[in-house]
Amino acid sequence: MRDVAVLGVGMHPFGAFYSGKSNTEMSLVAGLAALDDAGLTFADVDAAYAGHIFATVMSGTRVMKEFGLTGIPVQRIENASATGSAAFREAYLAVSAGHYDVAMVLGFDKMTTMIQSGTAGTAPENMEDAILPAGFFAMWATRRMHERGTKVEHLARIAAKNFNNGALNPMAQRQAKERVTAERVLASGMVAWPLTKMMSCPIGDGAACAIIGPVELARKFNPGRPLVKIVASTLQSERYERGHIFQGPVVGPARMSVDSSQAVYEQAGVGPQDLDLVQVHDAFVIEELEYYELLGLCKPGEAEKYIEEGAFEIGGAKCAVSTDGGLIARGHPGGPTGLAQIWETTLQLRGEADKRQVRRKNGDLPHLGLCHMMGGGSVCVIHLLQRG
Amino acid sequence: MADVPRPRQPIKPGFFTVPDDPRATPNLLVTRCEDCGEVFYPRRAVCAKCMSRHTEEIEVGARGTLYSYTFVHLPLFGSTNMEHAEGYGVGQIDLPEGPRLQAPLAGKQAEFKVGQSVTGELDVLRADGGTDIVIIRFRPVAEAA
Repeated sequence: MRDVAVLGVGMHPFGAFYSGKSNTEMSLVAGLAALDDAGLTFADVDAAYAGHIFATVMSGTRVMKEFGLTGIPVQRIENASATGSAAFREAYLAVSAGHYDVAMVLGFDKMTTMIQSGTAGTAPENMEDAILPAGFFAMWATRRMHERGTKVEHLARIAAKNFNNGALNPMAQRQAKERVTAERVLASGMVAWPLTKMMSCPIGDGAACAIIGPVELARKFNPGRPLVKIVASTLQSERYERGHIFQGPVVGPARMSVDSSQAVYEQAGVGPQDLDLVQVHDAFVIEELEYYELLGLCKPGEAEKYIEEGAFEIGGAKCAVSTDGGLIARGHPGGPTGLAQIWETTLQLRGEADKRQVRRKNGDLPHLGLCHMMGGGSVCVIHLLQRG
Repeated sequence: MADVPRPRQPIKPGFFTVPDDPRATPNLLVTRCEDCGEVFYPRRAVCAKCMSRHTEEIEVGARGTLYSYTFVHLPLFGSTNMEHAEGYGVGQIDLPEGPRLQAPLAGKQAEFKVGQSVTGELDVLRADGGTDIVIIRFRPVAEAA
């Protein structure tokens, strides 16, 4: 197993472009930006992994041809929301095992086209498909309110934080013109009680790319730049326990995030207290609240207290969460979402995150970042990135 | 003619029974593991707990307690029933035999409460010629005082 680093990252801004932008157009912007950031050309790439959910046959290889036809292996990976993260992991496994030196991971999707065509990628005759994803996550919130006395204001504060972080990210889909308050989030219209529109991720399009390789190549190509190493990676599926819901696999067992985070902490020899920044699958705000506890950022039952203190804001008492706006504000097109988390964490660890730059209390740049994604409630993917 | 009930068909076979008597409560089609006794909804060939292939298909009553709920403020997908136009409740229901399932709820949000008893009923989603296409949903049971 070799040490692997992020060589370069690039994005096409997320947004609702409808017919205005194709997957190929957005992918070229993201992919060429990542190659430039790495100081490489496509001729240097040994293998490519495409993350694309709403795919037609050969959509991965077709988009990669736009960069060049060099004979390299190209594969498309799909794992619902965790598609980009799962593709990143496959590239990481192959590079760390020494099969390839430079691997390009490109995620792209057009949720707007999917919604217009009315095909959610699932079978409409299934009863569970009649129920919106917002409904499944709303039930997580209802249960939390019943067990812990969580208030809608706690949920609203998480959304406001993510909107305000997103306003500092040029790649974010939702760009708030003025500071977003919890009151505005609560007044934004009900989707599925208690979740409002601003507590739910938007429908959008986009592309994101990460290029990875052995650490020696990172030092060779960009000698003056902080090294961003991938120090842990896991992908887990569900374990059965009583109360498991088999239909409508959208939320998934909470234990999956606990087990996955413990696995990466063990791999890297770190604990949640060592994290400077965290990106999570906050498709709906209740998720971010639960992940504070499931990832070990605070103890069970303490999330509400820390939300009231603003502990997970940039500059807060705990680590900063969803620094780029999260799925709520940065957006969640599908295939590129997990790679947008890698983009954000890489920039943060390098000290290139501009107005939303996270710093330690002593003013130092962040050292350790975690990227967490859930896919269809059926898989959890976590990566740890570390500077140095 | 008015006394002859319209024929009903499940939106998808294999999940619940459609009794001939429209007043009868439907049953849920579940699997019970013959080795470890775990019960699953919907039906499956291999036990998810002990991986045994010795499973039997049984029916259980559509009733349980509400583990959680929401009310979705959008029309129910694929429904032409006016009752679904302004939104619909969704619940997670714990059956006494063990399985937890998700299904639409009948009634208004104010009637839903965690821990509440609920019972299943068939709900017409749309008509297909002379046949009603039905789904299963759960309705809060008024608690005895």
